Amino acid sequence: MLRFVDAKCMIGRRNAPREGSPVTREDFLEIMDRCHIEKAMAHHAMAVEYDMMDGNHTLVEETAGSDRFLRQWCVMPKTFDEFLTPAELVTEMKKKAVKSVRLQPKTSAYSLYPYAIGKLMEAMAECRVPVFMDAGESTWDGIWQLCTDYPHNTIVITSPGYRCARQLAPVLAACPNLRVGISNYVVHGGIATICRHFGAERLLFESGMPVSSAAAAVSLVHYADISREEKELIAAGNLESLLSEVTL
Amino acid sequence: MNWAAYVENGKPFDDVYIFDVHGHIGGDIRLQLGNHSADDMVNTLDRLGVNSICVSPILAFASDWVRGNELALDAVKKHPGRIYAYATPNPFYEDCDLSRYLVPGNGILGIKAHGEYQAGTPLCDRRFDPAYEIADQKRLPVLFHAWTARQVAEGMDVASRFPNANFIFAHVGFTEADAKAGVIAGAKKYDNVYIDTAISSSYDGTIEYLVNRVGDEKVLYGSDCSFFDCCHTLGKLALSRLSDTQKEKILGQNAKKLFAI
Repeated sequence: MLRFVDAKCMIGRRNAPREGSPVTREDFLEIMDRCHIEKAMAHHAMAVEYDMMDGNHTLVEETAGSDRFLRQWCVMPKTFDEFLTPAELVTEMKKKAVKSVRLQPKTSAYSLYPYAIGKLMEAMAECRVPVFMDAGESTWDGIWQLCTDYPHNTIVITSPGYRCARQLAPVLAACPNLRVGISNYVVHGGIATICRHFGAERLLFESGMPVSSAAAAVSLVHYADISREEKELIAAGNLESLLSEVTL
Repeated sequence: MNWAAYVENGKPFDDVYIFDVHGHIGGDIRLQLGNHSADDMVNTLDRLGVNSICVSPILAFASDWVRGNELALDAVKKHPGRIYAYATPNPFYEDCDLSRYLVPGNGILGIKAHGEYQAGTPLCDRRFDPAYEIADQKRLPVLFHAWTARQVAEGMDVASRFPNANFIFAHVGFTEADAKAGVIAGAKKYDNVYIDTAISSSYDGTIEYLVNRVGDEKVLYGSDCSFFDCCHTLGKLALSRLSDTQKEKILGQNAKKLFAI
């Protein structure tokens, strides 16, 4: 059976959950069990909706004692007295076993240019921490700029959507440090096409829970017209390989 | 039936009858759709174990209604029993008469109305009525592209005016809370209102949510292939918490009755 490790999952009580969608930790675990997802890399809803460090600390509390969740923190550059310096962030991440970070420049109103987040990205590159960001937090031109400005960072774009194929392809071609999550990349034959043109190493399985369906996402991999080896890479291998390089 | 075993092995669902009520052939200028020919559609159906699909050609509602409907007819003739089609009207052409497509036995089973691509024409625009009248006379299904609350309300107006036609509200209305509420209310109120499952991104639990509110005979499997890969909605349904009987109804038994196959 394919092993799945989920590269994007947002847990925690959130502001406006849709009826019937997962909310509690048990809800998420039930879906993960049903879809045979071994672990999920999670960030916290509070870090997206309210305050990053409050949300990041709440993530640590709510994932304590569980080996089913890997921790991801939402981050931004230190501005005036807000947030942590890169050095402080690295120290905290090490203490709290956090091995990946998530940018949200649109949600939290900050720039991705080097003058703004250069030092943060440098610190992440030094520790080989992969940097995640939803496609909707930028444009595809902006994503190209991000990958180009920080060639030593692995950038993972999550929830790319199904309308982006013409924009995604040239960025994948131009930016070897780009990886893409698949949760809503439901383009007909899309996964197989990317494997054929760019290699399965560029894709990461993600459920996109709670907004997207884990069952749908695992099905995209199970039924993709690709080899077993490619499925294994996408389902878990690529993410695990990235995380194994983290030196924190 | 061990649905999970099918998904986990990437196995076609050959042991259950599946009729996909919502598919497309042809490309879309707005985005890349992958391989979208009728031939490729049949390969996809085989790979997933889907018996048949009813498609509307994007050409018909995005550009040329005549060439588009002819494309649908060609696809149906080339792949009888695997590909069926909807005839698609264009409200801007007074001579748009779909009756020549809606001939019993030729594989064109109903009508697809997609006003959004036609300058945002409301589904209840009276210029669509000639098409709805045929559907009403012949008791045919009509598939509505109904994404927003406004489109859902327009569609319900039509459903109330043409009680002998059956109206399938595509995309489930899951993009907006008002749209979803409207679809559910309409499916409860009108016997001739149904819902399909075609949506690009919705959470686990959406289909269960719908079935709990409108019943398992009002929900129909639709994938929106080849906008989307078929397998993602199929997998979501297969791995849902619905019972075997509910899954079988939604996957194909409901469509068998509605489309009189």
